[in-house]
Amino acid sequence: MSIHLKTAWGHIRRVPFQALAAIFVLSITFFVITVISVLTYASGKALQYFETRPQIIAFLKDEATPEEVTSLEESLRSDVRISDVNYISKEEALEIYKKATSDNPLLSELVSPSIFPASLELSLVDLSFAEDVINEVKKLEIVDQVGFTASLGGEDTLTDVVNRLRTITWYIRIGGGAFAILLASTSFLVLIVIIGMRMTTRRGEVEILDLIGATPGFIRTPIILEAVIYSLIGVLVGWLLAFLLVLYATPTIISYFGEIPVLPRDTLQLFMLFGIILGGEFLMGLILALSGSILAVSRVKTR
Amino acid sequence: MLEVKQVTKSFGDIVALKDVSFKVDDGEFVFITGQSGAGKTTLLRLILRDLVPNEGEILFDGVDISKLPKKKVPKLRQNIGVIFQDFKVLNDQTVRENVEIALAVVGLPRQEWEARVDHVLQLVGLSERADLFPSQLSGGELQRVSMARALVVNPKIILADEPTGNLDWETADKIMDLFEKINKEGKTILMATHHKLIIDKMKKRVIELKAGTVLRSDKETKSDEANVKSDSHEAKKQKTNN
Ligand SMILES: Nc1ncnc2c1ncn2[C@@H]1O[C@H](COP(=O)(O)OP(=O)(O)OP(=O)(O)O)[C@@H](O)[C@H]1O
Ligand SMILES: [Mg+2]
Repeated sequence: MSIHLKTAWGHIRRVPFQALAAIFVLSITFFVITVISVLTYASGKALQYFETRPQIIAFLKDEATPEEVTSLEESLRSDVRISDVNYISKEEALEIYKKATSDNPLLSELVSPSIFPASLELSLVDLSFAEDVINEVKKLEIVDQVGFTASLGGEDTLTDVVNRLRTITWYIRIGGGAFAILLASTSFLVLIVIIGMRMTTRRGEVEILDLIGATPGFIRTPIILEAVIYSLIGVLVGWLLAFLLVLYATPTIISYFGEIPVLPRDTLQLFMLFGIILGGEFLMGLILALSGSILAVSRVKTR
Repeated sequence: MLEVKQVTKSFGDIVALKDVSFKVDDGEFVFITGQSGAGKTTLLRLILRDLVPNEGEILFDGVDISKLPKKKVPKLRQNIGVIFQDFKVLNDQTVRENVEIALAVVGLPRQEWEARVDHVLQLVGLSERADLFPSQLSGGELQRVSMARALVVNPKIILADEPTGNLDWETADKIMDLFEKINKEGKTILMATHHKLIIDKMKKRVIELKAGTVLRSDKETKSDEANVKSDSHEAKKQKTNN
């Protein structure tokens, strides 16, 4: 193996501009692929956030017993139109209020837990069910009032936001995917061209190795390795650049999006996300290099 | 170990070899001689399976190599050490690396390389030139690199095509001494040359080709008896002495 690596390195060193061209194209490809992956992840997360936000709040009467609440919660949970049910006690409601008014301590001191009713927050599978669900829940014994939180002020409803996000996500996936495929194809062609050139410039060497009994595998290995080296360097450089860019921008992104978790807040999780992307890209780079070089090598061999 | 049976090889209308037969035993030293174009190189290329005969068989250790499947050709070639008339060294590799590549080709473990390479470089007298590149060597030195590469894998047989072709007499003589030494160590050598002086001096078995046919060969009776010179008897004598 190491003699092949040595041979491959020898070739790379002798044609630094070809090597640079290959590495440049591959770096750009994997930079873009990394960025698109992160964007896809972020838009998916944002969509998920809005989709799973509670859209209906059923405030419960104070006289409702815990058993009644539990049984209601259970029956709502089994409703196919409702994706999630969350119980908020009086104390939790106060906590939420306090947090929301933390920059104005006077406001929070004025209230006592008793003025906040306990409530059930409902997330719907689809917002078209909202009206029916609200009407049904309103009729229940222990329910006091029902609020619809899915209007975000102005004319915007949550439905609009979700729909717009869906479109954006779709564009990112389709557009980004197409762009990534275009770049990957370019890299593939550049690799084939460079490996093809290598086969031609090495013809004399190939002939000698063939005559002293080298197997086709022995002859091809350094050439394929060369492609793999370009590819792996490309992955590493492209990924690293994108990673640094995201790391640099993370504080801004997080403060801009507030509680919408477009990027993992936890550093470890962020690293994991990038680790997974890197792993996928290594695999992709390997497949690109292997298929490209094997194709180029076999084309030249069958002259 | 090697038996050529009624081999015919033609390139289109040109008949390079016609009905050639001879046998080479283990440990023999055989010259193949004849005018330019007589078919010497063609014969060696057939044995290396670089060419396939139109007719006839070439048995190497009992196996007909002309019918060898393509996949088995590398293994055959790994058992043959070839010294090319035009050296065929890798120009971007040092002397040592040129020799090492043969060991890599046969898949010898790396830790055994150094001792082996040192040994053959010593044998051909290139120890001091090990780290030079081919462009820094003289013709005779390149010839010896080619030899070292052929020898290092310990092949069963050595094919040499005009190994003294473009060397002066003194250098050629030295190279021949080397071949003699290798042969004494038990290697079979098949050498194509038209260097009369060398053939006369070495007193080994000679197979003479003329226009693609065997004109004389010590072992086969096909050739013209009148052409067999005294040196062939001496070659036989020498062989029995060994
Ligand atoms: N690939 C080929 N295509 C066509 N003709 C060829 C080919 N190789 C050899 N020949 C012909 O076959 C004949 C024998 O060639 P070969 O190279 O074996 O001669 P040789 O004995 O080695 O000569 P020399 O002493 O000059 O090296 C020549 O007439 C040559 O032109
Ligand atoms: Mg010749």
